Amino acid sequence: MITCGIDVGSVSSEAVVLDRSDEKFNISAYVIAPTGGDSQEAARNVFEEALARSGFSRQDIGSIVATGYGRLNIPFATKNITEISCHARGVINFFPDTKTVIDIGGQDSKVIKLDSKGSPADFLMNDKCAAGTGRFLEVMAKALDIKLTDFAFIFNSTREKVDISSTCTVFAESEIVSLIGHGIEKNRIVKGLVYSITDRIVSMVERIGLEEPVCMTGGVAKNAAVLKALEERLKLKISVPAEPQITGALGAALLG
Amino acid sequence: MGIAEKIKDGLKTNIQNNLNKKNIKKILNIISSEPLLSAYGATFASKSDKFLNIYSIKSLQKAYSSRYPVAYGSLFLPFELFHALGLAPFLPEVIGGFTGGLGLADRTLKEASSRWYTPDLCTFHRSASGAVEMDLFPEPDFIICTNIACDAAQKTFYIDAGKFGIKDRFYLIDVPYKKNEGSIKLLAKQLENISADIAAKMNKKIDMEKFASVIDYSNKFRDWALKANGVRKKLLFYPKYFNGLNFILPFHGLAGTKEAADLYRNVYLELNEFLKVQESIFTNTGNYKPEKMFKGRKIPCVDNLKKSRKILWMHLKPYYKNSIFTMLEENNYKIVFEEISNVYWPRLDPEKPFESLAVKMLSNPLNGSIENRVNAILKMALDYGIDGAVLFAHWGCRHSNGGARILKDSLKNIGIPLLILDGDCLNKNNSSEGQISTRLQGFIEIVDSRIQD
Repeated sequence: MITCGIDVGSVSSEAVVLDRSDEKFNISAYVIAPTGGDSQEAARNVFEEALARSGFSRQDIGSIVATGYGRLNIPFATKNITEISCHARGVINFFPDTKTVIDIGGQDSKVIKLDSKGSPADFLMNDKCAAGTGRFLEVMAKALDIKLTDFAFIFNSTREKVDISSTCTVFAESEIVSLIGHGIEKNRIVKGLVYSITDRIVSMVERIGLEEPVCMTGGVAKNAAVLKALEERLKLKISVPAEPQITGALGAALLG
Repeated sequence: MGIAEKIKDGLKTNIQNNLNKKNIKKILNIISSEPLLSAYGATFASKSDKFLNIYSIKSLQKAYSSRYPVAYGSLFLPFELFHALGLAPFLPEVIGGFTGGLGLADRTLKEASSRWYTPDLCTFHRSASGAVEMDLFPEPDFIICTNIACDAAQKTFYIDAGKFGIKDRFYLIDVPYKKNEGSIKLLAKQLENISADIAAKMNKKIDMEKFASVIDYSNKFRDWALKANGVRKKLLFYPKYFNGLNFILPFHGLAGTKEAADLYRNVYLELNEFLKVQESIFTNTGNYKPEKMFKGRKIPCVDNLKKSRKILWMHLKPYYKNSIFTMLEENNYKIVFEEISNVYWPRLDPEKPFESLAVKMLSNPLNGSIENRVNAILKMALDYGIDGAVLFAHWGCRHSNGGARILKDSLKNIGIPLLILDGDCLNKNNSSEGQISTRLQGFIEIVDSRIQD
């Protein structure tokens, strides 16, 4: 059977086409693209692109499972499942013993606790503000005029951090502008920002009860600075799938 | 949309477009007059819903009529006292909740904000305070509040007393932390003194016969509520639009009235009818067949009933349009009991009204230690055999949200997952629909997967 998972997030959308003909399944194709202003169109685009890349036709697809914040708005999906269950399923595929999943996406972050069978047992989500999410990092990178991809190098090469007192994205941005105005070195600000987002996530992990092994998913898992800071704060090693951004879509395809 | 909903929408639009006390009073007078009220009542598919709406309108009309002395009262008071003293109760917090349903909360909250009511104050109180500032509520003759659970009422009601120039008619009932002989006596004395003072200010004496009659009605209500709650231990097939979270008035503002007893008698009778249909489906006897209609509801099949998931709901719900209850319904999740439907007090003694009402107040699980609430919730969880629980964590509600952690841990100990759903009962701008829907659906997926395992 061929299934497809589509994860429509606030910032990016992903589609995974999964060939489950054999006992061992195979990711035939995947696509990651910005969501933009029309989530329905974004879902259709990533689906069609993934389908084209996979070589399968629409008729070959047995089920299409939608997930992510736009999951309820995809008319061609056969069912929808939350990103909580989908990320859990996707992670278990790569790291079967995982007990805690940290998913940091564009506009929300989640910590999911898994039971002995790899199913979600409990979860926590961020408040309805963007602090502690990928969007927070994006806004700050723009304010600092530094590429997000440079964060890891800066983080590793800088000893001291500046404490960022604001947890709100809007206030943090003005705080950064003010710090730059006071001549504070940008590298120290970057380090402070990374710890600011990390501390919010650590607090969620502690609230739900840390259990190892821990795996991280979502677009922010690609940010080596955040990953390193999280490992440092939690005092453990965190696993990350090769392409963490498609974990939700893969989980959706697996649950299809 | 049914006729009742259309009428409600029409009234809502009228009030929204012409928002002032005179118009509210005019609408209440029109809708509560016969035969219009009976005609309006006849539009409801459910008897419980019908009587709830009729008695709510009547109660509001009485408070706005200027024909009775009006007393503002905070939610956790024994309203039997009001009815025995001949006061028309007006519950600002509850009517604050109505502003959410009527689409007025944006305006009342904005008014409160411009009058220095801090945004982290509970929106029930903030909206009510905004409405007082906008002169939308009836003018009170007395204001009575208590320190049970909610801290905001003591402060906001005092501000109201100042605004209406009746600080000498403002009463705060100080409920002791623990329930024991001494605290019962102390509280009973307060209730008696306050009653005597109010009666004296109305040039009356306390009418003990009236007290006895009110206590009698309160007991009748209690009997029917216990019977209805008993039916709900087995019930999975509910009347259309039934939502136990709507029944605040009979437990509070109407406590001690014939109306509350009648209302809950009808709730019991209706739920019992539905239980009989459910039982006939399970036993495959009688004339009721799955897929056929019963009182506007499609009769479910046995499989569907067996797959129903049972939920206990804590605290209140959003009063504006939301997808929570549709999502639960679509996933075959039934709210089999609500924290607010709990009959936690013993039968009252008509010979000792003040002492009985003191016991009632002190028995409230929200009074005293958080352990009282935890124990009450655990008992409900076991009595109703629930699969999961939801706590709607209303913005600014310290007394409820403060206990969230211990409630979650305690339910977890008996194997029941609790979803803490952060939101706002009144202010839709302070609730994220997307986040609530993801959290609720995620919770449903967890409960389903646990049961399948």
